[in-house]
Amino acid sequence: MRVLLVEDNAADVDLTREGFSTSSVPVDLSVTMSGAEACDYIRKRGRHNSATTPDLILLDLNLPGIDGKAVLRELNQDAKLRRIPVTILTSSTADRDVAESYDIGANCYLVKPLDFKSFQVILRTVEKFWFDTVTLPKSLAKKDPR
Amino acid sequence: MGGGRMQFRGDQMPKAITLPELEATNRSLAEEMLARVQAERQLRESKDLLSRIIQSAMDAIITLDEQQCIVLFNVAAETMFCRRAAEVIGNSVESLIPARFRGQHAGHIRTFAETGVTNRAMGKLGAIWGVRGNGEEFPIEASISQVESGGKRLFTVILRDISERQRAEVLFRQALESAPSGILMTDEHGRILLANTETERLFGYARGELTGQPVEALVPDRFREHHPDHRAAFRQCPSKRAMGQGRDLYGRRKDGTEFPVEIGLNPVQTTAGSQVLIAIVDITARRRAEQEKERYTDELKRSNAELEQFAYVASHDLQEPQRMVASYTEILAERYRGKLDANADKYIGYAVDGAQRMQRLIRDLLAYARVNSQAKPLQPTDTSAVVVTVIGGMHSTIASSKAEIVCGKLPMVMADEVQLGQVFQNLINNAIKFHSELPPRVEVSAEAKGGEWQFSVKDNGIGMEMENAERIFEMFQRLHDRQQYEGTGIGLAIAKRIVERHGGRIWCESVAGRGSTFHFTLPMTTSGDA
Repeated sequence: MRVLLVEDNAADVDLTREGFSTSSVPVDLSVTMSGAEACDYIRKRGRHNSATTPDLILLDLNLPGIDGKAVLRELNQDAKLRRIPVTILTSSTADRDVAESYDIGANCYLVKPLDFKSFQVILRTVEKFWFDTVTLPKSLAKKDPR
Repeated sequence: MGGGRMQFRGDQMPKAITLPELEATNRSLAEEMLARVQAERQLRESKDLLSRIIQSAMDAIITLDEQQCIVLFNVAAETMFCRRAAEVIGNSVESLIPARFRGQHAGHIRTFAETGVTNRAMGKLGAIWGVRGNGEEFPIEASISQVESGGKRLFTVILRDISERQRAEVLFRQALESAPSGILMTDEHGRILLANTETERLFGYARGELTGQPVEALVPDRFREHHPDHRAAFRQCPSKRAMGQGRDLYGRRKDGTEFPVEIGLNPVQTTAGSQVLIAIVDITARRRAEQEKERYTDELKRSNAELEQFAYVASHDLQEPQRMVASYTEILAERYRGKLDANADKYIGYAVDGAQRMQRLIRDLLAYARVNSQAKPLQPTDTSAVVVTVIGGMHSTIASSKAEIVCGKLPMVMADEVQLGQVFQNLINNAIKFHSELPPRVEVSAEAKGGEWQFSVKDNGIGMEMENAERIFEMFQRLHDRQQYEGTGIGLAIAKRIVERHGGRIWCESVAGRGSTFHFTLPMTTSGDA
């Protein structure tokens, strides 16, 4: 499974890597550390011209420059890109952030837990749901769910 | 005297009188006698009546002859002057007049006699004073009249002792002058009849300068135009009340400056028409104090809000780095335990423990800040349902501790349901947590007391010394060490904050070793009380 993590905090990037390291499904984790870079990645521009479309995007909201919501809006303006499932992974618990994220097309909203064990649990849940349970559009899905 | 009366002289004696003539004469004589007796009786009765009227009069009546000697002195005069009629009649009136006025008095009466006026009030030239038998002087109100009788002129003086009235007037004046408020009396046209010194001082007028002025002189120019309308409205419906309800009132000093006032109006009905007694208080100092208080309250509110915002932001922003510390010490502990030396394991253990504790503190601090920042409006709430939900949520705690929870009938209150649940959860949780060797038994009840609901959560736990009963509601205060009882010590601080936000109080009664009872109050709702 190809997962794009959009996260500006290196510690969180490593934490996510650590979390996925014990995954039952092999996860190909790509990381962009800003909103602008994330846009380049999904549109395969610049140094990301050979990038592959991810199966799932883990998107932080609080990013320097183009923030997570702006990235989400950009994705939704594109007929093809809007099919990519986006999971918000943030430390914000603000009601406004939650509501707005869903309004502009987020598929789910996760708050980063305060300890590593809970973080692992959450990543396992994400994997199980997005990689094993749901049916994704063919152009995205790597394996045929049937 | 006329009629059939006959006079006889011996030399004129008629030679013979016939019987019918004699009988007629007798009849006429008898009739004349009867008339005379009747007239005399009427005269006697009328004199007697006059005398009784004079003697029973409330006012002193004294009659003098032209020589100023007393010829009549009634009972009221005896009482007033403390003198017997017998001892003053025939003597000069001077003995009834204080020595200092004696010389002038005779002159006044002579002048009156010369005017030829029948009667008039006395004292036009100054107050009249009398002197009693015991030497005491007293003020008098009097009138004088003159009559001619048998070629003699008599003067009758009717007097009234006005010392009581004068005392009352003095008392009134003293009260008026010592009143801390400005006091005015106006007539029905709004003209000032009377103003005390305080009024003059407040408005910067000299003594007596206000009397006769329209009351509008004391009203600022910008309100003056409408003031007569307000007066007219008051006249339509006169009642004792504060003036200008809902309006800020100002007085105008003689020099044109203004000051805030409070004014009380009292309608007074007098023979001279409807008057208004007005009390004026200068509220400059009070107004300033109110403004000061308002400013202070605003500042306090602002600083409280800022502090709350700070607590929220601080704890919220602390969470991020804290999450890193906690997560990575966890990974370190998991991945490197036993791979470094023994000290490293111990130190990692400390770091993990510290990080976890800090995490709880931050979480609790956030919860505390959220009592106000995430408060919902108070709505009619069924306390019983709230407690049932709380107990349901604590199912595993209750089961594992074998606790018995008894809940009485609880009322409807105005509350933020979630927060009220937090209060009960905290109290019930504490009641179970601090149990003794007995299985915990928790009683939840409510009673109406002093116009509010008093809720109680009673346990049979370890209790505490009453000297700690206040401290436990402060943030992060713990009575026991962390190893014995878990928790950061925020629960009761949050409960207190919630109860206070709802307009109630919370306190604890406890006996060490015998259990505790936590009480809190909530205002009664106006309707729907159970």
